[in-house]
Parts: sequence; structure tokens; C-alpha cells
Amino acid sequence: MSEAQIEVSRRGGAPDGMAAPVSNRMLMWKRFMRNKIAVVGAVVVVLAFAFAFLGPLIYQTDQVHVQLSAANEAPSANHWLGTDAVGFDQLGRMMVGGQVSLTIGLAAGVLATVIGALWGSVAGYTGGWVDAIMMRIVDSGIAIPALFILLVISAIVSPNSLTMILVIGCLAWLVPSRLVRAETLTLKSRDYVLTLRGIGGGHWRVVSRHIVPNTISTLVVNATFQIADAILLVAYVSYLGMGVQAPATDWGGMLSAGLSAAYSGFWWLIIPPGVAIILVVCAFNAIGDGLRDMFDVKGR
Amino acid sequence: MLSSGSVSAKSRLLLAVCGVVGVTLSGCSDPAESSAETKNSVSYAWPVSQTPNWISPISSAGHTSTINASLNQVLWTPLIEFNTSGGSMGWDKEASLAKSVEFSPDGRVATITLKDMSWSDGVPVTSRDVEFWLNLIKANKENWANYVDGRMPDIIKKFEAVNSSTFKLTFDDVYNQDWLKSNQLSFIQPIPQHAWDKKSDSGAVGNYDRTESGAKKVFEYIQSEAKDMASYDTNPLWKTTNGPYKIDTFTSSGKVVLAKNKKYDGTDAAHIETVKLLPFTSVEAEQNALRSGELDYGYITASAMAQKETFEASGYKITPKPGWSITYMPYNFNNPKMGDVFSQLYVRQAIQHSIDQKSISEVIWQGTAEPGYGPIPQGSDSPYLSEVQKNNPYPYSIDKAKKLLTSHGWKMGSDGVAVCSSVGTGENECGEGIEKGTRLEIKLLAQSGSTETDNMMNEIRSSLSKAGIKLDVKSAPVNSVLSQTPRCKPSQKQCDWQLSFFGTSGSWYFPPYPTGERIFGTDGPSNFGHYSNPKADRLMQKAVSSKDSSAMVKYSALLAKDLPVVWMPNPVYQVSATREGLKGTAADVDEIYPQRWHWETQK
Repeated sequence: MSEAQIEVSRRGGAPDGMAAPVSNRMLMWKRFMRNKIAVVGAVVVVLAFAFAFLGPLIYQTDQVHVQLSAANEAPSANHWLGTDAVGFDQLGRMMVGGQVSLTIGLAAGVLATVIGALWGSVAGYTGGWVDAIMMRIVDSGIAIPALFILLVISAIVSPNSLTMILVIGCLAWLVPSRLVRAETLTLKSRDYVLTLRGIGGGHWRVVSRHIVPNTISTLVVNATFQIADAILLVAYVSYLGMGVQAPATDWGGMLSAGLSAAYSGFWWLIIPPGVAIILVVCAFNAIGDGLRDMFDVKGR
Repeated sequence: MLSSGSVSAKSRLLLAVCGVVGVTLSGCSDPAESSAETKNSVSYAWPVSQTPNWISPISSAGHTSTINASLNQVLWTPLIEFNTSGGSMGWDKEASLAKSVEFSPDGRVATITLKDMSWSDGVPVTSRDVEFWLNLIKANKENWANYVDGRMPDIIKKFEAVNSSTFKLTFDDVYNQDWLKSNQLSFIQPIPQHAWDKKSDSGAVGNYDRTESGAKKVFEYIQSEAKDMASYDTNPLWKTTNGPYKIDTFTSSGKVVLAKNKKYDGTDAAHIETVKLLPFTSVEAEQNALRSGELDYGYITASAMAQKETFEASGYKITPKPGWSITYMPYNFNNPKMGDVFSQLYVRQAIQHSIDQKSISEVIWQGTAEPGYGPIPQGSDSPYLSEVQKNNPYPYSIDKAKKLLTSHGWKMGSDGVAVCSSVGTGENECGEGIEKGTRLEIKLLAQSGSTETDNMMNEIRSSLSKAGIKLDVKSAPVNSVLSQTPRCKPSQKQCDWQLSFFGTSGSWYFPPYPTGERIFGTDGPSNFGHYSNPKADRLMQKAVSSKDSSAMVKYSALLAKDLPVVWMPNPVYQVSATREGLKGTAADVDEIYPQRWHWETQK
């Protein structure tokens, strides 16, 4: 049996027709679209990215130099969402903060998923004592709160977007690694994998071409949750004052800075970043739910 | 139609609603009204996350917080107490045991007369109690937290009791009398020799302090008793006091209840019967206690000044209280990369011109910080403050800052950061040790945890960037900042810090006579950045050893101009919130004086 044939049989397609995969895609798409909350989530995410990355092209503000004479101004025609404690335009700051939150969330979520996928597939595929050691490392990692490690690292290195991505990515891969390992354990005993090994296929080829691609649905669903978690983690760290350094900011940092003014009536410093975090995190979670429903089509 | 049963149910519902509304309304009653019930007590909040942990009036390393000092001075009357109760830093004679201090014409002998006061057991306070303290400290100076080589008690050559209420101290040299009184004699704390001069709980009282070995054992006994916090309100040792209050209850969590000392016969008697000193682990919790009316005397953060009217409407008076302190950012003159740059006065001038102290104080600190332009505290009047310092020799001006740099061989790079282009020591050149291509890029390690500090650093970074100076700010908890800001040699790894800020609550609190040899003296232990100016060293030495106090004014002017550090706005010690009607809180800066507190109708 050739690899192409193995691929077809793996996908469950009829050997005499090419329409089955297309039909599956259609079914998946329909199923996703049927989940209204997931669709709304997708729209929210698209709008959030557009707001953060395209918004500054339309609504231009100086987010580098402070202007104390304009501090804590209420929303007006000049400043649609008012200004913060050092005179930064709050709407412009929401865009800049959104860029950081979304970039870190997305990149860290993807990084965590990639590391988790590789780790879990190697552990599950290899089995034996290698699997035992690798999974005990995962168990140990899960036992330590990620926030604690993140705060310690933030205290040692100067936090910026890149370090936050690396640190969160390197902390959040534990859960996807477990999911992928579980899936790998069932995949590695499938006929097409055994056949490939039988005709001399290498371990790396098996893992990279067959195990990992077959866990893609699990990974994609999990990645959306990872992104949402990463955005929240960035918000936590920034809220505790250990986030990216000024003049950069993120929504969590903005929320933290605004909370000291909670009793002063400066609602525009608290509500917009708070709502943005909630909306985007809920949106990614809704997309994750929608994708899970979508990939379930395969099992029908 | 309603049945009798349903009428009954409706009545119960009505009663329940009335009850809930009643309870709710009682909870919403004006907090000021509740003060009527507490006219003989005051509830006070200790500074956040601080609790007293040392009762002995002999200070011990690791237990030197100001709240311990506060507790000490209400239990045992100090010989000479300095504070700002008179509007500026000065000798508070009411709170002191000494009636007078007179110096001999040559300045080598001080004759001190005590007030006619008694201990709580009725035994008079005498010169012997002063001698007792001095003997213990001389024999155990290494274990006394306030000891500095060559200062108290080393400066006292001889103690002589003239009579039971007068004694003479002979000094080893001639010193400035202001400095002696405020920074040295103020350490003396008479303690009850007739009750404490023993080596154990059950031991007999003797004159053990008069031998060195005996003094060591007595000292050890007293200090070991002070380690047992659980016994602070029961140990008989701590019951022999002569202060306006005595301890009623003490819990290790920090809650202390003081009761008026009925036997107090001094000049600073308490007015309030009971004072409750309460601990808080966060400012938010403390502010919530204020909002709920639980506290009579607390504090708010600078950023909460925007809610001043809300607190005032709840029956509190909001008062910013400046401390006897200065705030600054030390340069590391020994930093291998930037040390030579910082050594150039024009660079320091350019940086100082870029600090908009007035706006920072008014906007970011909501008016609760005072611009500071030199080494003498500027929050209250002081005879040591020079006109130069008072008038700010380097007012905020980005243009002047830029001009200073460009006229000394720096050119603005494409990214807006100044780069040294003209190497050499000439007038229009960058200066000694600065290499061509050096960028004016400074790393700042700043204290975290304060919105005001974060905003201030943001403002300074922004202003400096306009002048061509790039500031990279890294935040860390204050203990971490201090540990990463050591005195160091250029070759040492830990010398990589360039600029440091640890002054969210003020960088340095002075004793009453604000000499700066510890922070600006060439060998000063807290001169982290190794600033060295022989002229300043001479003036600081003169300020301590000369009778003439004009040396302090000259020192103030010199350092205001020479910029050993970046002078910064000095935040107040505290923004106090006192319930309307509570008076006598003016002296409460750094230490508290609950004996002065009284409700308006009481005095």
C-alpha cells in the first residue's frame, strides 16, 4: 500500500470517489456556522484584530509622549474615550494595548500548542520509560502554578512582548501535550502506521506526517483555548504590575492602572479594557467550542 | 379576598421588609454619628503591612521601624524628643523628659536637667536612670541598632550626676550643638534602673550596670524578654513605664490597645482613654475600613486624592503630611558604561532640566508631593535650606537640556537619541572617558507597586526622550531594587546598575539635623553611586563639628547645583484621613503621638 493510499484510508474516504473529503468539509463548515455563538466569537475576534491593528491608521494618537496637562480627561470630541492618568488618549491606548494582548495571546497560544504537540506525540509514540519520564515532567509542571513561575521570571528579566510570548508559550504547553499523547497512543496502533513502519518508514516520518496531522483537530480546538488562556495570563501578570514596560501596555496593564481610579469615577479607565478582555477571551472560547463541534463531524 | 392565613403571611412579609430596610438604613447611618459613642477612644490604622514587633526602648537590629519607635515613646518618655509639632522640625519640650540642656562655653560639656516625673510604680525618674541606659549602651554598643562608630555613645567621655535631677555629659570633642541635641542626645532613653537592673526575672535588682560584665547580662536579659511578643501586655518588666499610655492589649498580628496611664505626671498627658492601633495588609482594605467608618484615623493613597470629597462627605478630614525626607535617584558613577557620562556635570544638568517636578507633583501625586531641588527636606521651613536650593537652579526646560547636550559634542541620532560625536575634554566636547558613538541611553531600575511611581517614570521617560536621552525603565519590588543597587567597583558584575529609584515613600528620612554624610559623603555607607566631592565632604564635616550652622546652608547650595543624584519630587509621608472633630494629630509624621489626640469637645 502506498502512502497516498494510506492517507485516503486514514481519512475514511471511499476508495472510489473523491467527493467524500469535500463533503466532510462542507459538513464541518455548516456545523460551525450552525453554532451562532461561535460565529459571533469569530466576528468579535476579527473586529478586535481590526480595531487593534487597523484602528491606529484611522485614529492616530501619540502613545509615546505623555501629556500631563491632559491627564484624566473625560470622554469628549477630542478624546473619544477620555485620557488616562498621564494624558494618553484612552481609545488610542486601547488599540496599542490590544496589539500587545492579541499578539502575545496568539503567539504564545500557538507556541504552547506546537511544543505540546511535539512533546505529547513523541512521548505517546515512543512509550516505555521515555514516555514515563516525559509525562512525569508534564505532571510536575502542571503542579506548579504558571502565574507563579511567570511572576518570578518577570522579576528576573525585563518583560517585553517577546519574552512574554516565550515564557507563556513555554509554560502553557503542558495541557496540549497530554491531549496529544492520549491521541497518539490510539493512533500508533492503527494499521496505516504499522504498515508504514513495516515498509521501513522512520519514526520521525511517522510522527511528523501521520501522528501530528491526525491530532490536528484536537490541536486546533485546544489552541483557541490556549490563546484565550494566554490573553488572560498576560492580563493577570500586567495587573500585578509585572507586564510589559511603558510606554508599551496591554489591556491587563490598562485595567490595573485604571483600578486605582475606580472610586474616582473615571469609568473610561476601567470599563473599556475590562470589556475588551472579557469579549476576546469569551470569543476565543466560543470559537473553540464551535471548532470542536465542527471536527466532531468526522466521527459521524 | 385574603384569608386570615394570607393576611398573616403578608404581615410577616411586611415586617421582614421593614426589618431589612431598617438594618440597611442603620448600616447607612452617617459614620460621623458613631463617633459620638467613641469619644473616649480612637481607632487608628498602622501603616500598611507594618506591625509593631519590638517593645524594648533599647533598639535592636531588624526591629527599627518607626512604629516600634512610636510605641516606645508613648510608654517611656524620651530624654529629648524632636518632631514637627511646632510647624517645623524642632525640640518638642512637652514630650521630653529633659527640662533644659545647657552647654559649657567651650561646648565640651552639656548640663541636662530632668523634669520632676515618676515611674508608674511611684519611684521618681532620676539621673541614675539616664546613667543606667548609658552604661548598658556603652557595654553593648555593637548590639544597639543605632550605633555608628564615633557617634553615640563613643562621643561621651564622662557621665556625672550632679543631683537626682541634673547630670553632666562631657564630650570627647567640640560638636555642633544642634547636631548634638537632635541627632545624638535624642537617642538617650532613660529607663527604670530600680526595676530593670537585674539579670533574670527572679533575680534581685542591683547596680549590675556599673560593671561591663554586669551591664552585658542586664542588657541581654532585657532584650531577650523583648523577643517574646506574646507577653508584651503581661510581662511585669514592661509595666514599669513613665509615658502617657500603657499597653492594655497586644496581639502578635499587630493589634495594640493602649490605655491612658492614670499615674502619668509629666507635661504631655493623654486625653483619650483608649487608643486602638489596627494593622492592615493592604491599602485597599484600609481605605475600605475608612469608607465603612471603622476607623477614626487612617490614610489614603495619593491617587485616592481624587476622592477627597467623598471621604470628606463621609466625615473625614484629609491632610497630606510631608515627611522630613528627600527623594532622589542616585547615579552610578562607577558604572563601566555610563559612569564617565554621569561624571559630566552638563549631562546631569540636562537630565535635571528634563524633570518637570511641578507637574509631576501636582498631576501625578495629586499635590501630595513637594518638588525637591537639593539635599535639605523642603516640605517644611528649615534654617538649613539655601536660597539656591529653594529657587531650583535647574527649572524644567527641554530646550535647555537639549542645548546643554548639543553644545558639548552630542548630536541627535535618527532615532532621537543623542550620540557623542565630538570626543575630547574641550569645552565643546563630550568629556573625559566618553567614546565616540556613545549613545545617551540610561537603564533605570525603579520601585514597582505604585501607580504614582509608574506614572512618574512614564513622564520622566517621555520628557528625557524629548531631550535626546533614552530611558529604559525596569520595575522591581523595592527590596529587589535596593539589593541591585549596591556600592560597587567598576570591575564588579553587580556594578551594572546605572540609575535607581526607591523613593515611592521618600528615598531618605533624616534625623532632625539633616546632615547627608551617609548618602553623599565620599565613604557614606548609603552613597550607593560613589558620588565624591571633597568640598561637599568638608562642608558636611564642618556641619557636624562646628558651632556655626551656616555650613549646612552652604552644603545645601553646593549639592543643589552639583547634582550628586537626580532630585525628585518628595512624596508626603502620608495622606492622613482623620474623623472630623479629632484634633492634635499635627505632630504625627513618621512617629505618632496619641497623647496629643483629643476630640474637639475634650480640650
